[in-house]
Amino acid sequence: MAYVRSPFVTNQNRPLEQPIEFDHRHHAGDEQIDCRYCHFSVEKSPSAGIPSTTVCMSCHAQVWNKSPYLTLVRQAYFTDQPIPWVRVHNLPDFVYFNHAIHVAKGVGCVTCHGRVDQMAAIEQTAPLTMQWCLDCHRNPQPNLRPQEFITSLTWQPPEKKDEAAALGQKLAEQYDVHSRTSCSTCHR
Amino acid sequence: MPSLKPKLDGATMKDTPTSFALPVVSDKAEATPAHDHAHDVVGDALDHAAAHSDASESGYGRTYWRSLEEKLGKPEYLEESRPEFPEGADLPPTGVARREFMQLLGASLALAGATACSTRPVDERMVPYTRTPPELVPGNPLHYASGMTFGGHTSGLLITAREGRPIKVEGNPQHPVNLGAAGPFEQAFLLSLYDPQRARVLRYRKEPRSLRTFGEELVAGLGRAVTENGGGRVRFLTEPNTSPVLDHLRSRIQQRMPNARFHSYTSVTQDAASEGTRTVFGQPATPLYDFSKADVILSLDADFLESRPANLAYARAFAQRRDPGEGNLNRLYVAEPRFTITGGMADHRLRVKSQEVLAIAAAIASRVGGAAAGLAGAAAAKAQLNEAHTRWVDAVAADLRAAGARTAVVAGERQPAIVHALAAAINVALGNVGQTVRFVPSATAETTSAAGLRGLVDEIKNGAVDTLVITAWNPIYRAPVDLGLRDLLDPATNPNRSKLTVIYSSLFEDETSAYADWFIPAAHELEYWSDGRSMDGTVTVVQPLIQPLFNGVSTPELLALFLGEPYRTSYQILRDFWRGRAVAGTDFETAWETWVSVGIVPDTATAAIAGTPNVDAARALVDAYTPPAAGELEVNFVADYKVYDGQFANLSWLQELPDPISKMTWDNAAYLSPTTAARLKLEPGDVATLKYGGRTLDVPVWIIPGTADDVVVLPLGYGRMGLHETVAKEVGFNANLVRTANAPWFDGGATLEKTRRTHKFALTQHHWRMENRPLALDMTVAAFRAEQEKEKTKGSTVLARVRGDLEGANLLPDFKYEDYKWAMAIDLARCTGCAACVVACQSENNIPVVGKEQVSRSREMQWLRIDRYFTGDELNNPEMVMQPVACVHCEKAPCEYVCPVNATVHSDEGLNDMVYNRCVGTRYCSNNCPYKVRRFNYLHYTADKTPTQKMLMNPDVTVRNRGVMEKCTYCVQRIERVRIKARVEKRPIFEKELQTACQQTCPTQAIVFGTLSDPNAQVTKDHNDERAYKLLHELGTKPRTAHLIRLRNPNPALVPPKPAEGQPAEGGH
Repeated sequence: MAYVRSPFVTNQNRPLEQPIEFDHRHHAGDEQIDCRYCHFSVEKSPSAGIPSTTVCMSCHAQVWNKSPYLTLVRQAYFTDQPIPWVRVHNLPDFVYFNHAIHVAKGVGCVTCHGRVDQMAAIEQTAPLTMQWCLDCHRNPQPNLRPQEFITSLTWQPPEKKDEAAALGQKLAEQYDVHSRTSCSTCHR
Repeated sequence: MPSLKPKLDGATMKDTPTSFALPVVSDKAEATPAHDHAHDVVGDALDHAAAHSDASESGYGRTYWRSLEEKLGKPEYLEESRPEFPEGADLPPTGVARREFMQLLGASLALAGATACSTRPVDERMVPYTRTPPELVPGNPLHYASGMTFGGHTSGLLITAREGRPIKVEGNPQHPVNLGAAGPFEQAFLLSLYDPQRARVLRYRKEPRSLRTFGEELVAGLGRAVTENGGGRVRFLTEPNTSPVLDHLRSRIQQRMPNARFHSYTSVTQDAASEGTRTVFGQPATPLYDFSKADVILSLDADFLESRPANLAYARAFAQRRDPGEGNLNRLYVAEPRFTITGGMADHRLRVKSQEVLAIAAAIASRVGGAAAGLAGAAAAKAQLNEAHTRWVDAVAADLRAAGARTAVVAGERQPAIVHALAAAINVALGNVGQTVRFVPSATAETTSAAGLRGLVDEIKNGAVDTLVITAWNPIYRAPVDLGLRDLLDPATNPNRSKLTVIYSSLFEDETSAYADWFIPAAHELEYWSDGRSMDGTVTVVQPLIQPLFNGVSTPELLALFLGEPYRTSYQILRDFWRGRAVAGTDFETAWETWVSVGIVPDTATAAIAGTPNVDAARALVDAYTPPAAGELEVNFVADYKVYDGQFANLSWLQELPDPISKMTWDNAAYLSPTTAARLKLEPGDVATLKYGGRTLDVPVWIIPGTADDVVVLPLGYGRMGLHETVAKEVGFNANLVRTANAPWFDGGATLEKTRRTHKFALTQHHWRMENRPLALDMTVAAFRAEQEKEKTKGSTVLARVRGDLEGANLLPDFKYEDYKWAMAIDLARCTGCAACVVACQSENNIPVVGKEQVSRSREMQWLRIDRYFTGDELNNPEMVMQPVACVHCEKAPCEYVCPVNATVHSDEGLNDMVYNRCVGTRYCSNNCPYKVRRFNYLHYTADKTPTQKMLMNPDVTVRNRGVMEKCTYCVQRIERVRIKARVEKRPIFEKELQTACQQTCPTQAIVFGTLSDPNAQVTKDHNDERAYKLLHELGTKPRTAHLIRLRNPNPALVPPKPAEGQPAEGGH
């Protein structure tokens, strides 16, 4: 069992090559663009949303509009052909994860996706095993954060344990968090 | 290596390669030692239980049975269906020898080893939009109003789309006929959109051509025709047309070609009703009923709860009046030749030959008297009332008279015009017009019957036609045989054929396309813009959901080609037409946007005819009426409940749907009454030769109690022979081969002769039966009140058994439910058994189709089944009860504690969850389920889906693999989606926003779903209703689904004398 839960099997820490060298370090790190600017449906849909080419071009029509890195993006835009991104966080087909409810209840992006602002190519940091999901569903409070920091990649809970616990408690009440562990919550 | 995957996608299992052949299950199981009764412990126990059970318990004086064999306790029945699962249900899919099996096992183990290294596919791609449509949020569904046209009427639909793929059809709640409901055809409509067998090539003879070439050649040819003779040699054969935009196109074609002619044809035509009412009202009219106001209803061979086009609205209003909570029950009388869905709802049903209906109508009309008396007298002289029917007729007429203007008389489309005139006359005489009935001008003015095609046939025969454009569905298959359309269009048999160019447009290459010169693949109705009227005239805007998948050409665009104008899309055609009709100075844009989003054009319903009816004018019909041949058997043609007249035959959901009455799948049969079958010495499954009108046809026979004696019923729509419709191909027999234009619905003089062959049917009626226990309950109002009185003193055996205090406590611990408590209630008084819910469930939950052979092994996968029980001791003339049963989500579920891998577990809201990825397929749960609602994927039924079929799948529901148990989930994906929406918005779930698929589509609102934690929810009220009971309550499983007892409202004058006391009542074996 140790083997099947090892990062090797769960595909952790393995940056994947994408069709375009998109760098989150630059966009989410240097430029401090909010996650929701591109992943626009994260608050209202099961899927966080992969940005359409028009979203890329909304900036890159003006900035870096001649950069050779972006040739493929411009090509995709002008030929109206989508960019086939490689999926990094891939849950089995019988798991139905919903972004909207997690974000609404105070689970931040970084909790599951890690410090994307430090990744040259996106890699999976969390194991995404059922055990890992359940750990949080059974005790969500340590992973809650205030809504205003939901997309913050650097927010940390208070250092003192009792303060952090108090904050978790307060947020769980405030956001009415009822994390569920019934099978049909995720498997349908 | 033999494949473990069956041939699928609805193709019948017959073309399975031999390597995959299963050991044949014989009709009569060989008496192997294992099944020897002397050693059959379970059998002995059952025998013992049956012998020692309290007779009054099982049926409280009523007898419930599901088939004749069961009723009669025939040995075949007992032997074949004694085991819980049919013989062979647990056989492996191939006859693999053990060694081969080990090889297979080895291979799959090796594969498992190979895949364990990377449990997740690394290279899965995510393809975003280049431009996300503004209304769309990926992952969330969108709903669009649209419509479906068949038989000339358009019903309003609401289509759910996911990322541009339509995945589910619902009724449009704003549509006056649909009222949010959709029937089986509408539900399965979607399947034809994605059907990989749809035609994709536009061709001239055998050469593929482009639409442009077709248009150019057409324009050139038509140009000549127009100048020479005004299109005098051009003929169109279309579906009945009620669409305003198509009507406009047609009138413009007529302007260009004044001598061209349009003919319409459909199998189930409303011509008789139009003709009958025309004589009374002076113009073709359609009666529209308001059953909510009718206390007494008489149906003269009218299956108004199921026959199109207005049945959904009728069923809603009718069922409302079957619920004692909504006021006094109505009373339904039905006279009909075979059991229909409407007949099953009847309080008093008279089984008569179709030709006797006229005499009954006349007799009732003369007893009602008043305005109807004159016409009735004339009609009665033509048709003699059968002595045996007098008592029934007297009672019905008296009841109708007593209720006065709160009655309704309905005549069926199978009956001749004179019966419709008589029905109108009775309605007039009783004062119903304006109360329960209103007459509106017919939506289709033209004739649409086969007789109307005679002129066209003669013209083609005489070589008077150059161009025949066919947009009607498959006339060669569905036109009666005596028109000889096939011979007419076959160059080998018609010398004038070479002068004729046949242009045919259809979704499939079918029987007709084989004789077409130009074949144009049609666009599916969800691929183009159009409009259409419903029965009451309301216009629905038919909106496309998707670009044509297979290069189909839409009907408006095809007709527009005949105008010789520049090409316009169907959207432009439709919009230009409505813009042209807009009142000047009004804001068309806003209005148009509203119509498209709501789905209907407001204020388009037709006004009722104001003139005074002249009943006596209908005497001409009496004089014109020639009674059908008497003697021998009466042959009856009926539209099928599953495939209609054959146009839905390629939809595997419908082929596998058990027929509501016979529970037959993947077949049709000649239905006979038990008496007639006994007289002809025919057994179910015998093949007999039907001789009628000088033609013969071999038909397999099935016996259905409740069929009139000396009647043989032939459902239309089977025996399809089109090359490319492989689902429909060679399923059943084609009744059109003995059907004539003169007698499209019934005629006497048929004979049946037994042959030595037999036919194996796949019926679901014995599957999943429940031994000897009160399950589907129905009582008369009086009997129910009496039982209620007895219940107060704990004296009612039956109510005690289904809802009394339990003696032994169930040892399972109680669960605590803190929040929602999901529950369902099914009202048997409302349920007609139409099976719309079964198809809705199949569509919503990605339920596979398994094919005829698998069904005969009891491996059907539908999560929701409708049990049809006959009740009563009279073998030939029973009553009927329908009972939908899906997983009842027991609070103390027997399935849960036998699962060795915890694959079926209890949720904190009372759902009995099924975890597919845990299931290892022991099937213990199914064994232990007393309701027999669990379905097992014996084979990989979802393998080999084509790309378009994958588009149909609901992305919110797992597509199950082989070896996995599945069952009703109460549509948990809908619960979770609504829950998340509500939780994000920090509010509780509203009752109205959460509906299960079966509930949403139910025309009669028989199914209610909600949470018991809300005391005001309808489901809580239903659970506390006086009629509520729990299925197998005595087991202590505490089901979350309650059923409501069906109440009957018999006329005291017709109640049969009580059977002698002490007569044993056989329980529902």
